[in-house]
Amino acid sequence: METKPVNKSIIEIVRATKIYSPDVVALEDITLSVPYGEMLFLTGMSGAGKTTLLKLICGMEHPDKGLIEVAGKDLNRIKAKEIPRLRQQIGMAYQDFKLLADRTVAQNIAMAMEVAYHNIRTIKTRVIELLQKLRLEHKHDALAGRLSRGEQQRVAIARAVANSPTLILADEPTGNLDSKTTKLVMELFENCNISGATVIIATHDENIYRGANHRVLELHSGRLAQQDKWADPTLDNMS
Amino acid sequence: MKFFSTIAVQTTRNLQKTWPTQVMTLMTVSLSVLIFSFFFLIYTNMIKTGEKLGDDLRLTIYLEEEPVLEMQAQLVRKIINFSPVEEIRFTSRDDAFKRLATQLGDNIDVLDDLDASFLPPSIEIYPKKSLSTLAQIQRFSEYLSTLPGAIKVQYGQEWVERFNYFTKLLRIIVLLSGILLIMTTTFMVAYTIRLAVVARQAELEILRLLGATNNYIRTPFLIEGFLQGILGSSFGLLALFFLYRWIQLRFSGPGILQLVEFTFFTPSIIWIIIAASIILCMGGSFSSMRKFMRI
Repeated sequence: METKPVNKSIIEIVRATKIYSPDVVALEDITLSVPYGEMLFLTGMSGAGKTTLLKLICGMEHPDKGLIEVAGKDLNRIKAKEIPRLRQQIGMAYQDFKLLADRTVAQNIAMAMEVAYHNIRTIKTRVIELLQKLRLEHKHDALAGRLSRGEQQRVAIARAVANSPTLILADEPTGNLDSKTTKLVMELFENCNISGATVIIATHDENIYRGANHRVLELHSGRLAQQDKWADPTLDNMS
Repeated sequence: MKFFSTIAVQTTRNLQKTWPTQVMTLMTVSLSVLIFSFFFLIYTNMIKTGEKLGDDLRLTIYLEEEPVLEMQAQLVRKIINFSPVEEIRFTSRDDAFKRLATQLGDNIDVLDDLDASFLPPSIEIYPKKSLSTLAQIQRFSEYLSTLPGAIKVQYGQEWVERFNYFTKLLRIIVLLSGILLIMTTTFMVAYTIRLAVVARQAELEILRLLGATNNYIRTPFLIEGFLQGILGSSFGLLALFFLYRWIQLRFSGPGILQLVEFTFFTPSIIWIIIAASIILCMGGSFSSMRKFMRI
């Protein structure tokens, strides 16, 4: 984990707009600042632009207008050779999981660490540790394609946090999970946040952020409807 | 060290997954190297034989009359002015008759009723090695036929011309098989890698999203190209060596192979063929990956 710079944001978004061809406005005029070490929730209905915003942050997509800076790098001007290094610092759990069906659970998780050239022993230890945390240790050698959606979701989450990234982005991470497993996953994210990682969770499941001591941003038709709302309503007055 | 071990694991994994296509490509590369090196081996041996025969090249000018000493000196001057030569030897009618008698051996009696006057005097010219092409020899021969008193010039035209045309044909075959080798190795390897890239598109996309560098993605494919090149050319050359040994054993009796000293490639040529195959295969692999990296 990298040392976080004092008084600096890991994410700076200024008036970002994303339009999909021909004229579907996915995000409009988004301005957002996320300090290092924050955990926040991104909420909104389906199609509100949560996934697009996460894709812009991780550099999978580029804004049509506006500026996006992640860890001090302007994503519009970043050099091609700097992108891999930046992506290694970002752990993203995709809504569609993006797992390799013909690889084992362990191999899927290990991929994130292999690209960062961690040694094999470290990778094995970390994979086992994560599988235990997510109660998937018995699926170590199972093919990812044979898992249930809930299990695949947990594997995708394990892969996102495997490399101990500075920034974790999770897109609907509990969409296929029961309440017990949801609690496990949220504990994992909380622990990552306590260890220093910035965590952004896109969700429309109110249960996972209700009462928590974290900021909630609501997206509505591609616009940020409400900023600085706290999951715990008593904190709203303090902001 | 971590980079190499990670890449080794990745390459092994790739090879395990794509081995049937890899084997097909390996066979194509081996066959291309075998075809090319087979013709190249024959060509190099023919060139060697040609050089050897060139050492014995002799042009003979048959004259109307025996030249007197001043005339001999004038002829020598004219010949040397046109092309430098190793040696010029004048043969009188008597010398020619004596030589023929020696050559006839026990059949000398056929010359009983003949005298030396039926044989023409001649000049034998041994050209320098720089006179190596058929065109040069032909030009020299044409010039010699214009010398005063010359009736005819002989140098085994028919044989030299046939040998020359055969060498030319071999050169074309070597060139064509060389192009075939370049095309098959480069394109086959490029397409195998492209197929592998397409088949693993999803995986490569995920790797990029996870932060894999271009080197991480590209190096295993380059190693595959390297292995195709080194193994393909080694198998091809090994097959050619066994073929060469078989030809040697099969045709070891008197015949053309006794006339021609048939030898295998020198180690330096073997290394050049292997290195060229590696470069071609890695080039094919690199071009495929470059197209993917641009996407």
